[in-house]
Amino acid sequence: MHKIMLLRYEFHRIKVALSMVLFSFGIFGCKKILDIGAPVNTVNEENVYKTDVTAIAVLTGVYAEMGGGGSGTIFAGGIGMSLLSGLSADELTLYSGVGDNRLIAYYKNALVAASLLNNYGSEFWAGSGGSGLYYYIFICNAAFEGLGKSTTLTPAVKQQLLGEAKFLRAFFYFYLVNYFGDVPLTVTTDPSVNAVISRTPKQQVYQQIIEDLKDAENLLSPVFLDGSLSSYLSTAERVRPTKWAATALLARVYLYIGDFVRAESETTAVINQTSLFGLNILNNAFLKNSSEAIWQIQPVATGRNTEDAFTFILPSSGPNGNLNQVVLSTQLLNSFEAGDLRKTNWVDSVTPPPGITTYYFPYKYKATITSGEATEYLMILRLAEQYLIRAEARAEQNNISGAQADLDVIRSRAGLAGTTANDKISLLASVLHERQVELFTEFGHRWFDLKRANTVEAVMGSVTPLKGGTWKTTDQLYPIPVSDIQMNPNLVQNLGY
Amino acid sequence: MYCIPRKILFAMRLTIFLLTAAFLHVSAGVLAQPKLSLTVKNETLEKVFAMIEKQTSYTFFYDFEIFKDAKNVTFDIKNATLEEVLTICLKDQPLDFKIVNTTISIVKKKEPQPGLILSNNLLLIDIHGRVTDSLGGPLTGASVIVKGSHIGTSTDGNGDFKLLGVNDNTVLVISFTGYTSRQYRVKGSDAGTILLNKSISPLDEVQIIAYGTTTRRLSTGNISSVTAAVIERQPVQNPLLALQGRIPGLVVIQTSGISGSSVKVRIQGQNSILNGNDPLYIIDGVPVISQLPRTGIDGILGPSGPNYSGEGNPLNYMNISDIESIDILKDADATAIYGSRGANGVILITTKKGKAGPMHLDLNMQTGWGQMPRRLNMLNTRQYLDMRYEAFRNDGINWTSPSVSANDLKVWDTTRYTDWQKELIGGTANYTSVNASVSGGTNAVRYLVSATYHKETTVFLLPKDFADQKGSVHFNLNTGSANEKFRMQFSGDFMFDQNQLPKIDLTQAALLQEPDAPALYNADGSINWVPDASGTSTYPNNPMIGMYAKYQNKTTNLISNMIASYKILPGLEISSSVGYNNMQTNDYSPSPLIAVRPEYRSKTQRVAGYGDRNIISWIIEPQLSYARKIGEGKVEILIGSTLLDMKTNSGYLFGTGYLSDEMMEDIHAASTVGSGVSFRGEYTYDAIFSRVNYNWMDKYIINLTARRDGSSRFGPANQFHNFGAVGVAWLFSSENFIKEKFDVLSFGKLKGSYGTTGSDQIGDYQFMSLYSLYPTGVPYQGTNSLIPAGLPNPYLQWEETKKLQVGIDLGFLQNRILVNVTFVKNRSSNQLLPYQLPTVAGFSTYLSNFPATIQNKNWEFSFNSTNIKERNFTWTSSFNLTIPQNKLVAFPNLSTSSYANKLIISQPISIERALNFVGVDPTTGNYMFGSKIDPFNPTYPGDYTRLINLDPKFYGGLQNNITYKGFELDFLFQFVKQIGYNDALFWNGNRYPGNFYRGLSNQPVTVLDRWQKPGDNASIKRFSTSPDPYVLESDLRYSDASYIRLKNASISWELPSKWISKAQFRNCRVYVQGQNLLTITNYKGLDPETQTILTSNSSSLPPLCVWTVGIHVGL
Repeated sequence: MHKIMLLRYEFHRIKVALSMVLFSFGIFGCKKILDIGAPVNTVNEENVYKTDVTAIAVLTGVYAEMGGGGSGTIFAGGIGMSLLSGLSADELTLYSGVGDNRLIAYYKNALVAASLLNNYGSEFWAGSGGSGLYYYIFICNAAFEGLGKSTTLTPAVKQQLLGEAKFLRAFFYFYLVNYFGDVPLTVTTDPSVNAVISRTPKQQVYQQIIEDLKDAENLLSPVFLDGSLSSYLSTAERVRPTKWAATALLARVYLYIGDFVRAESETTAVINQTSLFGLNILNNAFLKNSSEAIWQIQPVATGRNTEDAFTFILPSSGPNGNLNQVVLSTQLLNSFEAGDLRKTNWVDSVTPPPGITTYYFPYKYKATITSGEATEYLMILRLAEQYLIRAEARAEQNNISGAQADLDVIRSRAGLAGTTANDKISLLASVLHERQVELFTEFGHRWFDLKRANTVEAVMGSVTPLKGGTWKTTDQLYPIPVSDIQMNPNLVQNLGY
Repeated sequence: MYCIPRKILFAMRLTIFLLTAAFLHVSAGVLAQPKLSLTVKNETLEKVFAMIEKQTSYTFFYDFEIFKDAKNVTFDIKNATLEEVLTICLKDQPLDFKIVNTTISIVKKKEPQPGLILSNNLLLIDIHGRVTDSLGGPLTGASVIVKGSHIGTSTDGNGDFKLLGVNDNTVLVISFTGYTSRQYRVKGSDAGTILLNKSISPLDEVQIIAYGTTTRRLSTGNISSVTAAVIERQPVQNPLLALQGRIPGLVVIQTSGISGSSVKVRIQGQNSILNGNDPLYIIDGVPVISQLPRTGIDGILGPSGPNYSGEGNPLNYMNISDIESIDILKDADATAIYGSRGANGVILITTKKGKAGPMHLDLNMQTGWGQMPRRLNMLNTRQYLDMRYEAFRNDGINWTSPSVSANDLKVWDTTRYTDWQKELIGGTANYTSVNASVSGGTNAVRYLVSATYHKETTVFLLPKDFADQKGSVHFNLNTGSANEKFRMQFSGDFMFDQNQLPKIDLTQAALLQEPDAPALYNADGSINWVPDASGTSTYPNNPMIGMYAKYQNKTTNLISNMIASYKILPGLEISSSVGYNNMQTNDYSPSPLIAVRPEYRSKTQRVAGYGDRNIISWIIEPQLSYARKIGEGKVEILIGSTLLDMKTNSGYLFGTGYLSDEMMEDIHAASTVGSGVSFRGEYTYDAIFSRVNYNWMDKYIINLTARRDGSSRFGPANQFHNFGAVGVAWLFSSENFIKEKFDVLSFGKLKGSYGTTGSDQIGDYQFMSLYSLYPTGVPYQGTNSLIPAGLPNPYLQWEETKKLQVGIDLGFLQNRILVNVTFVKNRSSNQLLPYQLPTVAGFSTYLSNFPATIQNKNWEFSFNSTNIKERNFTWTSSFNLTIPQNKLVAFPNLSTSSYANKLIISQPISIERALNFVGVDPTTGNYMFGSKIDPFNPTYPGDYTRLINLDPKFYGGLQNNITYKGFELDFLFQFVKQIGYNDALFWNGNRYPGNFYRGLSNQPVTVLDRWQKPGDNASIKRFSTSPDPYVLESDLRYSDASYIRLKNASISWELPSKWISKAQFRNCRVYVQGQNLLTITNYKGLDPETQTILTSNSSSLPPLCVWTVGIHVGL
């Protein structure tokens, strides 16, 4: 045998072994193995705003999360604005067997921001599990940044999404300024900016809100759109904001800042959309696709209607310390005029055995569980409020007959005779009263109205002691979360906390 | 021929033969050679060799030149070995042969060097023999060295060795890791069988290290080991629990007595402020995830760690009786080779392997009982009611008024008294465990197969099907080629675990439920809801809901590993380890209507959660190792690389709308199915590593390790990083001046190490900006939605820990007393912090690197002593003590960071701030706190001035082992000095004395020392129905939680052999074992280890006191 061959044979085995090792080491040099890509249950930010479907899904996510997937959010249910602000004001009475210190604090106007463990009143800011108003604003800002960079979206889709994000940001800031006063105005997702941001005066925040809403009016579709942002072919669901949602909210904002001329013109624009909007009979007002709805939120939990229904509707055994912790207050019940259909259609009661006490509860939403699709959607903006905004704006401008006419639209639906108020002062009082009985347990309207009308001192000064608390002027604003104050040296707590 | 006298010629021939054998036949002897039959008539050697090649797989290697002096050969031979044939062929030829593997080299015969023999005037001979253990099992790889020389060899697979050309009448030094070295004088060429006794000195016990083994004598690192004998004495379910109190520098805390629950492990303290502090677990070379991702419905099992907020502990799915040893690697020298994964230490688990010998069948059966170790003294009904009435009186409330809600007084039968601790958690958990194993084999093939069944019920008042049942199989196969060049080892562990638990731990109800709470069941056996007059349930928290709202976890876990190695050249070995781990969990948690109070049922749908988790990982680690002597020392070099891929998926689906409670286990019975959270992760990792060890005469040892790591958990800019360490040891007792002057000192070693390790325990994908699916039951507008998953940071880097350790080992009186003292200083920097953000930023955390530095300074002491060693009686003790100190060394701009009110420079990172509790105001009966403004209303953070350090001050264990003839008694005391949460001292942690909230209102009897009237000096404030927010945040909450615990005790008796020989048993042992038998503590809560914090939902079952009896039979 040839010696070269033999040599080769001997070394071949070593070579194979060595090359196996070197091959393995060779892989090391390759960074590809560390390139894992995004997990399949997520989408990478770069890709999210590349296609219409995923970009739409981001804003859809906001609406889906707002309604709550079987548990409460700051917009619905047990920690929702309707409940907590209703407790703060004179709308709701906390059941005596409730042991939840948070609800007790809201109810007794005794919110505290003493320490991390002892911090009640910042739910709308921070959420209870992290989803407060600033979380939603973060998504809006992220959407602006993503949509702004994107060049591949269908122009119409991009326009609508930008409009939705602007509208939503304004909507969230509206509640922030009304609950907390001056608030940090974040317009970016950059944590290094947002972590040290200070509070912006309320007027400036309102300016931003108005700017956003005006932009939204221009960007948003005038008709309701479906989940792919095309016009509905059949029955329109009203679960995405339209141009009219922006206009309606703008009307409210102008009213709140005292620009009554603009408030009137904006609200007129909405009311004039008679092909889209019209008042319903009371019992149908809160159904899904109600003609009164300017913007609704679709519940996304299987077999459940709105979370508010679960919170407010009492079982035959009455209130309890767990799910059904509140009843309507005597102040509210007593404020209904005789014959007001709203007291019979929107209020219900139970008298559990032994039949001594009757408990009244809000009955705008009438169904809790459902076997098929939800029958009721969470109502966020509705036409009746627009009439009341215009009535107030007109009264403020001394348009007595105009104000009366708008007020009577609402009164007549409730089966009441026309208003007897005939001057600015009495009309404003009548509008305030009408708002109390029309908009009760809806997104803190009563709480804001009391503060707006400067009646909060008088009303709460007498109501809070009845609830077992002590009213202080500083209770008008809720406290900023202690953790935010701790982490951001530029944030200053509201007075009184 | 040469003119040389015949006699000399003979001697020369013999020498030539011997030398030839010595030089050339080194490996020939070990080959299993083929038998040849050849008939050759005057053929050339070339032809003959070709014939041999045809008959065998051998090939010849030669130069044609050498055949020019060769003669033709003639022979007829049958059934001869290759060697015999070649010897005949080359007889009287100027040629010789050499066989290496299957290559036969033909070379020119070398002329002998006469001086070799003549100068010595001694005959050089070859020696052969065999090395075995005391039972006759051959020892492979034992070193056999001629004393006073460097001539030596090692034994082959049969334990045989051959030394060629050594002096007659020589002394051999035989040594083998884990055995006592022995000197043996050889007369003649047959050394016979040399027995080595297993070393009883702990110095020579084998320690498993990263990619290799060492002994305590020779190691440069800080390593502690626990062997099967110790583990098997403990009736625990998780192997980590078998380490409690035994290892200096290691803290293991069982967070709950529930089977399958989580375990917290810290090696040498907490290195990271918030991120993963778990060690790296490696089972037979396969890394196992250190924190389990959650399925979303598995809350009962307790938190697994901060990354996944998952539940349980992965080592719950590892059968403890299959473990041969657990080695804990602590310092940089031992862990730097694991690079980015070694910062928190490494726990290596090695499973049992078969040993050569006749087939052994071992049966081990044990049964036992577990109970609550102790109870809290809670108020009885009378005391409870009086407290409630007094609270109402103090508050000026007329409790009989209809507007006051007080079901405990108004609706419930106030004459009832139930000791809920006895009723709900006072049961006895039954333990059953059966293990059978078969092992044996030859040197070529060794095997072990073992199967285990384990069942453990709960102490809860629940049916017996609430139990944890485990079945597992373990196997190991070890085989090699006859020449020992190729070896392969294959092992696997498979476990199936089915755990049935209530959804909520009943311990909280057992402690806090009002003593007058109603009966659990109605007369008809249904849950008693106790409706009031209006129909509202007044007993909505009836703990028996747990019987229906249950949690079921089924997990299978397969850990499998194969190692193949090949010796290319003497000293040079290539090997590759391939590991695979597959853990699958399916869990199920229904909320049937029967567990919902009746008045809610019309509003409630049946919901059931179906979770799943699967973790699949593989790892490939090719390695090349080389060992050779250089000068007086031995160098060992290892080069390897790691490729790892781990995929984790978990999540759950939920069904709603079932027709009945009975149908809920099947998800197909749901009318609608929704999607819960889902978690997906992928982690890939690759690295190259190397270690160089130089050992100079077992006196000076230096060990260098290095690793370059890449991890997918970091952004593209920062994926790679280098780690390295140096370890040195000086065995000064081997120095002559020590030997001469300090003869009492039998062993002395000074060692030290310094190096860097890292941590990438941050969870996957943290650098990516991701949007995840928002799970909805009914998609919004029929389309899916996305929500942002968090704030990403593309610039994430490794967290780095620099470890410095210095230690001294001393042995006295022939190593009957062994002492080790180690000083540890570890500094972690570049902290990966989920930086806390104000909620204004949208998300509350943002992961980033911070230039903060944390220091862990430990003093570790261990002491082993053989107190008595007689023929029938031995008594050994071992003691360990650790004094840890954790401290934040640096944190730039701490005061302006989000950690300003949490961390303090030069304080431990776990520090808590609390109010200074002053006492109860004698005038008002309210608590007072140290405050600049108002002692009744202290402010945050200014008044939170008390600093509470919850880290242990010191901890350790004392173990004693006494054997007398066949009896063995072993017991371990564990001790910890620490401060802990002790809510039960002054309130129940959930409700203040006097306050009622269904199911949570009972109080410990200590609250009876309360303020009643002005002037009272009391420790507890006036009873009241309204809460006191501040006491929870005062230093009153913290108290001594030190304890001494009889962690483990066991007594066993080996039946005398004359008894068992009749029954044809190999051996038979009966034993009694106990765990957590006795606890001495001042702690007022249930248990100082779990520190049952009663605050909402975290109250948990303490570790149970367990007794088992068992029998082990060897056939």
